[in-house]
Amino acid sequence: MSANLSTGVGASGGSTADAGLDGRDARIAAAIATPTAPSRPAVRSRVQPATRRRARRRCRPTPIGVLGWVFLAVLLFFTVVPMAWMVSTSLKSSFAAIDQPPRWIPAEPTIVNYTKLLNPDETVGADFLRYMRNSVWVSTATTVLGLIVAVPASYAFSRFAFPGRDTLFFSVLVRNMFPTVVFLIPLFILMRRLTLVDSHWSLILTYLTFGLPLSIWLLKGFYDNIPVELEQAARIDGATRFQAFYLIVMPLSSPGIIATAIYAFIQGWNEYVYARTFIQSDRLLTMPVGLQKFFTEYASDWPGLMAASFIMSVPVVVLFLALQKYFVQALTEGAVKS
Amino acid sequence: MALSRARVLPVAPPRARRPRPGLFASIVRHWADYLYVAPALLVMVLVIGYPVVYTVYLSFFETPPRSGDWVWTGVGNYTETLGSARFWDTTRNTFYWTVGSTALAFVIGFGAALVVQRQFVGRGIVRAILLIPYVISHVAAAYVWRWFLHSDYGLVSGTLLDWGVIERPLVLFDSIRWVMPTVILVNVWKEFPFVMIMLLAGLQTVPDQLMRAAKVDGAGAWNRFWHVTVPHLKGVILITTLLLFVVNLNSFTLVYLMTGGGPAGASQLWITEIYNIAFRSLRYGEASAYSVVLFLIMLSMGYFYVKALTGGGKSQRRPA
Repeated sequence: MSANLSTGVGASGGSTADAGLDGRDARIAAAIATPTAPSRPAVRSRVQPATRRRARRRCRPTPIGVLGWVFLAVLLFFTVVPMAWMVSTSLKSSFAAIDQPPRWIPAEPTIVNYTKLLNPDETVGADFLRYMRNSVWVSTATTVLGLIVAVPASYAFSRFAFPGRDTLFFSVLVRNMFPTVVFLIPLFILMRRLTLVDSHWSLILTYLTFGLPLSIWLLKGFYDNIPVELEQAARIDGATRFQAFYLIVMPLSSPGIIATAIYAFIQGWNEYVYARTFIQSDRLLTMPVGLQKFFTEYASDWPGLMAASFIMSVPVVVLFLALQKYFVQALTEGAVKS
Repeated sequence: MALSRARVLPVAPPRARRPRPGLFASIVRHWADYLYVAPALLVMVLVIGYPVVYTVYLSFFETPPRSGDWVWTGVGNYTETLGSARFWDTTRNTFYWTVGSTALAFVIGFGAALVVQRQFVGRGIVRAILLIPYVISHVAAAYVWRWFLHSDYGLVSGTLLDWGVIERPLVLFDSIRWVMPTVILVNVWKEFPFVMIMLLAGLQTVPDQLMRAAKVDGAGAWNRFWHVTVPHLKGVILITTLLLFVVNLNSFTLVYLMTGGGPAGASQLWITEIYNIAFRSLRYGEASAYSVVLFLIMLSMGYFYVKALTGGGKSQRRPA
């Protein structure tokens, strides 16, 4: 904060925004910005404790500051080492992987585990690539359908005043309370009645309800924050209600839409229990279940398993990291603030 | 959460939910509005409503695995479940798991949010790295950690042996004493980024002027944190911990794939136990009764959750 203030002022030579905020801040700002020495002591005497402490902080790190850096270092270590070990193992041969003592960096790195998994001519590779295709399809369908369902619903919850609106909104949110495993039996029976067992649609339908509460909650927050006057203006200018929504509200809420889309996609990509229960034939399995199958079949092939875990993680990690700023923005604008 | 915003808003218009003579007329007038929410509600009713009713119904029946004949047993399944000694062991584990994971993930995640919020070179990269565990699937995380902590070939055990810190291989997943702390640690690894991202979002809403004012008034870092940041984030903190708590109570995959509830049931949770009763022993009735108990606990949590989400029911409304 202190660094912020002084550099900002130093650059612009007395920012008006700062001056407008607070009399005392303005005085400090002026003091720091003035190059002449004599004015300094005068100001310092007026706001003594804060200025002095601030000056000290800039020269010498405070105990809390140091503690923070140590904490961050430990946390980074805790986060990174298991993942690094996954990557390191995936580049080893099966023999090298069980070397004792363990080598942090493979002595003879090999990409054979990856080529095996991504080669459609080998049995393992063909299976793996099929699981991946299934996962892509299920996650994409879940995401798209989720948006089609969530966008109008959250818009209605935000804008319209129909009877029972609040009750309905809460009942959607209560979804998060329900234990997933508890629903396995009845849902399995339901899917059998709908003849959806052993079809990707059973998964898509189920995953849809995972994402919906968060999507609706986030998007409603967004719509609440968009002034209704904008739409009214568009309506006066001759836009239909749909046009007003599509041309005005949609672009303004796009961070929320992107965030909910990522969330739905990741959920679909990673889900394990339902996929394991609903899908029975091998050719329809999704990646998490495929990974587990790989583990039970090739129990000692840890490098292969680590390579498979790595490949499986890359798409969602890249997607999430690329779009995480929308996620934070959506939480800030949509959920946390509203 | 809603408080700070509600203060600047004009007084909310009268609510539509108030019962009045023209309720039916009002429903008819707003018929088109319901079309917007209909698809969402339809899916929810199908995938949530139906299973809830069905689970409750099933919980009153004895369901022999080999025949399709269900026998009404009344509350028999409930007394059997709650009466077994195993149930209370599992309850203890579940409590340990849920409270331990939630508290630890929250503290670490909050700390991470505070540190990562500082200005420093490479902040974006650090933030990104810390977020990765959150999006890695539970299945991959379970296997990566099993391998990482493998007693014979894992990095931790092998390295510590090599350095002479320990004399025998480090047994964690197969030790009755250490299995719970270990699975909790893995769970925290997976969950703290969620807390971090939620609180990071919350921290952006703490007004700069407020912080600066506190600083000028001579408040130290601790006082600023405790008297400005925390009160401001109350809503976010509440929601985050509640969500975490429920997620942990529901969490299945990590424990199931890492320990399967073992050794000797030392890491058996409610949820893995229900899965075993239903899909290993095929006793659906008993599993359903178990589920209903769990469900009631969650529902009471859900009550607080909804209250927290809506900030005491102050949802703003704008007529269209």
